[in-house]
Amino acid sequence: MDIREYIESGIAEAYVLGALTPEERMQFESDMAVYPELAKEVRALEFTLFQYCSANAITPPATLKEPVYDALLNATGSMITNHGKTGKQIPIKPAYKKSTFNFRNAAAVAIILGSLSVNYIFWNQGHKEQLERIALQEQLTKIQADQKLLASQLSDFRSSTAMMADTGIQTIVMHTMVKGHPMAATLYWSKANGETYVAMDALPKPPKGMQYQLWVMQNGKPVSMGIIPDGMENTPVMQKISMVVTNGEAFAISLEKRGGNAAPTTLYVMGKA
Amino acid sequence: MNPEKIYSEEELILLLRQQSREAFNYLYSQYSAVLYGVIRKMIYDDDIARDVLHDVFVKIWISINQYDAGKGRLYTWMINIARNASIDKLRSRGEIMKAKIQTTEDAVNKLEQGMKTELYTDSIGLRKIVANLKPEYEAIIDLAYFKGFTLDEISKSLGIPLGTIKTRMRSGMKQLREAFNN
Repeated sequence: MDIREYIESGIAEAYVLGALTPEERMQFESDMAVYPELAKEVRALEFTLFQYCSANAITPPATLKEPVYDALLNATGSMITNHGKTGKQIPIKPAYKKSTFNFRNAAAVAIILGSLSVNYIFWNQGHKEQLERIALQEQLTKIQADQKLLASQLSDFRSSTAMMADTGIQTIVMHTMVKGHPMAATLYWSKANGETYVAMDALPKPPKGMQYQLWVMQNGKPVSMGIIPDGMENTPVMQKISMVVTNGEAFAISLEKRGGNAAPTTLYVMGKA
Repeated sequence: MNPEKIYSEEELILLLRQQSREAFNYLYSQYSAVLYGVIRKMIYDDDIARDVLHDVFVKIWISINQYDAGKGRLYTWMINIARNASIDKLRSRGEIMKAKIQTTEDAVNKLEQGMKTELYTDSIGLRKIVANLKPEYEAIIDLAYFKGFTLDEISKSLGIPLGTIKTRMRSGMKQLREAFNN
């Protein structure tokens, strides 16, 4: 088999993305065991996907951490206490009763002892230095990746800084209008030439069949500035609005059925100019 | 916990197998945002996504002994747990088909957006910040990686020939790889 040609076919990409059928996947895995080049290619692609996931990372709510830890303690507890449904201690029975459970216990103990002895060997045979070196290498790789990502983000934002630096531009933060749902969006408005830009910093993805619509309040009446394109929510990406707006008291975003409405239905965020 | 401390994967695996609080703190601080990002790519509902993240940590914690470093890196293993848990959750709620239909719509929107970006050259933004990945590449990568579509399913649902899907998938991965200098 010409291994370069095989890699060129995109099979490794399809494999790491999980886009192969089960049969194709099994075939590829057995090929990978034979050709180290394939395995190397797969590791590199997996690292790329990890970086892609890191770039898409979302910090979970802070309130989640402790309940997760409690659940881990319970999960570990239930493994050790032999799935006792009532939670009380079960006395150890002779081996002929509940033999499967005792077998499991024995296996668990063997794994724990195995793991402990592996730890012991690792920590006591001078492997620590090696581990530290690997840690440093990983740190360096991570820093390089971070730097690359920052550089690309910088070039993205550089184009918008010129606009931001313009003192004629007013920044209007639109705050949530729905109690208990912290949402926000930002509008940049150059009143002199009527230019506006919107960034949907903290708005959820709209439900299926719905879209966000931008409004300007003129003389107390909402005037539509158009539908906001999909996929902008929860990003600091700015979108220029084509409508020229030279007067207005406030700006708002509402949730509407796909295609929009003549008047706002549910206001999500609003900010005074 | 000392926030400056950085463990290698090998050290983290050892710590996790000891099931210490420090191991959990480190695991959570280093990986919860990546894993939550993966889950949220797959599940739109915040509450369900949080439940899945919870389950993913439990799964990582109790199956760390089954992790085999010979088969791939720890982050790949953890991300795959998150992907599988999300797909299982969608499937259990009978939403997997719905999700497939919805993502096809999203993908089509992305394709349209890609064309729009080229038309409205004066507008700032619209481009995804992530590695400036072309929308038509991103759609295919996301359908496969985050929605569990096979190449054939992607081809059928987007109405684009299989050969084109393969080429775009490869180009997309190449673009990501170059962007991350990998």
